[in-house]
Amino acid sequence: MTTMRSAAGLCVLLAAGAASAQYSAGGIKVGLLTDMNGVYSAISGPGSQKAAEMAADDFMKANKDFAGKVTVIAVDHQNKADIASNKASEMYDRLDVDAIFDTVNSACALATSAIAAQRKKVFIDTGAGTSELTNEKCNKFTFHYAYDNYMLANGTGTTIAKQGGKTWYMIYPNYAFGQNLERQFRAAVEKNGGKLVAPSDATPFPNTDFSTYLLKAQSLKPQVFGTMQAGADLVNVVKQYNEFGLKKQNIGLAIGLLFESDIAALGQDAYQGAIATVPWFWNLDKAATDWSAKFEKAAGKKPTFDQAAVYSAVTQYLQAVKRAKTDEGEKVVAQLEGHKFNDFFARNAQIRKEDHRTILDVYQVQVKPKSEAKAEGDYYKEVNKTPADQAFTPLSESKCKMAQ
Amino acid sequence: MQDGAVTLLFIQIFNGLVNGAFYALLSLGLAVIFGMLRIVNFAHGALYMLGAFTAYALGEKFGLGFWASLAIAPLSVGLFGMLLERTMIRRLYDLPASYNLLLTFGLTLVIQDGVRLIYGISGQPYAPPQQLSGATNLGFIFFPTFRLFAIVVSVVVCSVTWFVIERTRVGAVIRACTENPTITRAFGIDVSLWVTAVFGFGSALAGLAGVLAAPIYSVDPLMGSELIITTFAVVVIGGLGSILGSVVTGYAVGVLVAIGSALYPPIANTLIFILMALVLLLRPSGLFGLQEAR
Amino acid sequence: MNARRWIVRIGVLLVLLLLPRMIYPVLAVDILSWGLFALAFDLVFGYAGLLSFGHAMFWGTSGYVTANVLLRTGLPVPIAILAGTVAALVLALPTGYLSIRSAGIYFSMITLAFAQMVDFIARQADQFTGGDNGLPGIPRPALGPIHFDNPLHLYYFTLALAALGYLVAARAIESPFGQALRAIRDNRVRAQSVGYNPRVQMLVAFLLSAGLSGLAGGLHTVGHGVVSLDAVNWSTSGIVVMMTLLGGTGTLLGPLVGATLVLLLQDALAFSTSASGVVTGAVFALTVLFFRRGVVGTLLALDLRRRAGERLIGAAK
Repeated sequence: MTTMRSAAGLCVLLAAGAASAQYSAGGIKVGLLTDMNGVYSAISGPGSQKAAEMAADDFMKANKDFAGKVTVIAVDHQNKADIASNKASEMYDRLDVDAIFDTVNSACALATSAIAAQRKKVFIDTGAGTSELTNEKCNKFTFHYAYDNYMLANGTGTTIAKQGGKTWYMIYPNYAFGQNLERQFRAAVEKNGGKLVAPSDATPFPNTDFSTYLLKAQSLKPQVFGTMQAGADLVNVVKQYNEFGLKKQNIGLAIGLLFESDIAALGQDAYQGAIATVPWFWNLDKAATDWSAKFEKAAGKKPTFDQAAVYSAVTQYLQAVKRAKTDEGEKVVAQLEGHKFNDFFARNAQIRKEDHRTILDVYQVQVKPKSEAKAEGDYYKEVNKTPADQAFTPLSESKCKMAQ
Repeated sequence: MQDGAVTLLFIQIFNGLVNGAFYALLSLGLAVIFGMLRIVNFAHGALYMLGAFTAYALGEKFGLGFWASLAIAPLSVGLFGMLLERTMIRRLYDLPASYNLLLTFGLTLVIQDGVRLIYGISGQPYAPPQQLSGATNLGFIFFPTFRLFAIVVSVVVCSVTWFVIERTRVGAVIRACTENPTITRAFGIDVSLWVTAVFGFGSALAGLAGVLAAPIYSVDPLMGSELIITTFAVVVIGGLGSILGSVVTGYAVGVLVAIGSALYPPIANTLIFILMALVLLLRPSGLFGLQEAR
Repeated sequence: MNARRWIVRIGVLLVLLLLPRMIYPVLAVDILSWGLFALAFDLVFGYAGLLSFGHAMFWGTSGYVTANVLLRTGLPVPIAILAGTVAALVLALPTGYLSIRSAGIYFSMITLAFAQMVDFIARQADQFTGGDNGLPGIPRPALGPIHFDNPLHLYYFTLALAALGYLVAARAIESPFGQALRAIRDNRVRAQSVGYNPRVQMLVAFLLSAGLSGLAGGLHTVGHGVVSLDAVNWSTSGIVVMMTLLGGTGTLLGPLVGATLVLLLQDALAFSTSASGVVTGAVFALTVLFFRRGVVGTLLALDLRRRAGERLIGAAK
């Protein structure tokens, strides 16, 4: 069936002539494969779809000869890796999608990455954390855009240790993401003169009650209590961290992965003083604030950093397509590799050729109390910036085959 | 250092009892519905979640505080449960229990997703009432005051329920309805009305557990979904038909999970299933159960 | 009547042969693997009357073993699937033996308990399972002229093996063994008094069910090239129950029809951005309330009524 379609496609190409023949199926189709209804839908979901659509519209407005040629399609993978791989195949094969974006959930991201390599089409992940996408499982068509575990751990661990948080006790969810993140945090803390007062505890995943570990922290009395939990688990950790009064006992809070929706779930006073690393936040600077206002008008809420990353990634992709004068996978990849850029989301950014990791400046932020917030959703105070060339896995340590 | 380890263990056991009180209260409602009526109510977790969200909504929309919610939410969840029983669940009594399981599973999906559509997937903030906020200095640890309150509520409610069902005429009627409906009806007792009432009571208990959970745990649409199979396990281990069994098992599981978390955390949530398998193999009718299991 | 049955079966076979031309082939492969899984589940549910909450453990274990054979050795795809099936059978021996001792809701709970333990082990043994990341990008070396990257080749290969599984199940159901199962389901004591040994029959049914679930799981893994913790999650056990109920338990084609409906529903919902849980849950609840016999069951009942009516009219003449 595939050979028949290729033959038919070839005929169309020859018949249609030069001008509109550059783009497969007559246009550029941007695909969004992510969690639309489940636990990550607040971080990504319909908001990411809106971001992708905005990016497509803005690109077409700025490039008149692309008018009407770019479409966006959004698909729900329901956080299941087998559905993700099915839908990715379907999107690339049957729906003529040229590039897939976002894909939260590391298992789904890895599955999609494998399909992208097989189909020789672009996959730019913004939503998942696993650094395997640019290490052990890297491939020619996969790009990792916004954040990854190394960046989170290295940024937060280093900053806090340098600031004086030398003794640590950490908990992490017992799966690849959590294990990975804990390992990186430990390395960063120890590299900067800190130490763990007890081995980190792996908690069941998912989990609601963290009293065991908070009580343990009370008796261990570290300067920092680190949590690698994410999403609903993180909300429970922070709620109970406050319940058990750890802050009053001078045990600070370090968070592995923090999203704006997590803060909204409890109100920012619950997170006050906690430190985390983010690639971006809505009121980072004027460019960010302006874009966020546009997004809020279209989507009804302020953007999470994943949604902003989707807009940026789609825009960069479309511009790469423009430079390549085609949407054929390999040629666009060649245009993306090594590309340096600056936009409202990524500053001093570059898409590394060796492992397809996008490096960008990232920020260590501290959650401010509601009393200091100047607007609804003003959560963060920037306490440190890690420049792009230091924030991500150094190439010398990369496990990516392409980088060797 | 040895002394520290012993203290830590003692702390964890104490914490386990507090958590156990929570399991016991949550299992109580299911023990009444599942244990006595033999209705496999998979929606129990969703009803618990509704209790928490009702408390949140009462605060958000009507400015009613925790104490008012503690009274109102269980009642409204109980009424909702009775509505479900009267309109849908009772149609399946003549069929094997599995059909009610499947129906209530479908209802759970509808309720959870319905709440998600209204409130979103992330949690809603809910704080304990002023009088119970903060932590109490128990000498060896600082323990959240609200949790101490919750354990008191749990003990009271479990004791009263046990007493009513095992020692009063009301309880005798309920037990008669479930054990031999035909003869009970012959005595002039409206069995179907009693069943609805008991189902409502069990649902109200779930709602109560939800209100008590709101200040401690994240109030989100899926908050009941992982708890539900654990709760079933507690009731089965305790023995179907035994209120005492569920309550005792609830406390025991709380302590077991706490010790597990202290020694080898990853297995903490699986321990209960290992325990359930062992109990079903060695004592098929559960620890305190009286019914035939084969 | 026999002729009619064969017409229906040949009709279904024709549809299956043409399926990849009607819908996306990858979805068609899913219909086959889930359909076989649902039939395997129904062997125990519809015919032996036992609701298992743990069938995902056979589907998933087989999936992981199949994946590991393909990832770590160069053995051909059918061998890998066979290894998975055998692994499911090996798992079924102790779990089946222990579970069969209970009945009713206790059987369901104990199978759930075992499944949760398998889930835990799968999570911990991330050397073999990839933990939460799963095992993506599983290689599927060509088997002679069959190239598994070609969706059509993959589909017909899956169809061949799934049909084999179906035949095995059908033979079992229509044999004296199947009748014994039904007798035990309807009245255990009476069946015992006639000389059947319920324990043995049910264990055999359980093993057969587990083996076929394993075959289905292996096919599914090969079909997707990926396996993850979803395969051993209790919600997977729930989905297969839903498929069976929707299609019609106790019928040969019911589970396949149910699987098709659920997968098509899921597929349609993937393109919507909201309310998928409400729709799925409502479909489920309404089916259980009003449509308990499922699609095939209802069709059979209507057909039976019609023919009984015909006979009455014939007798009256």
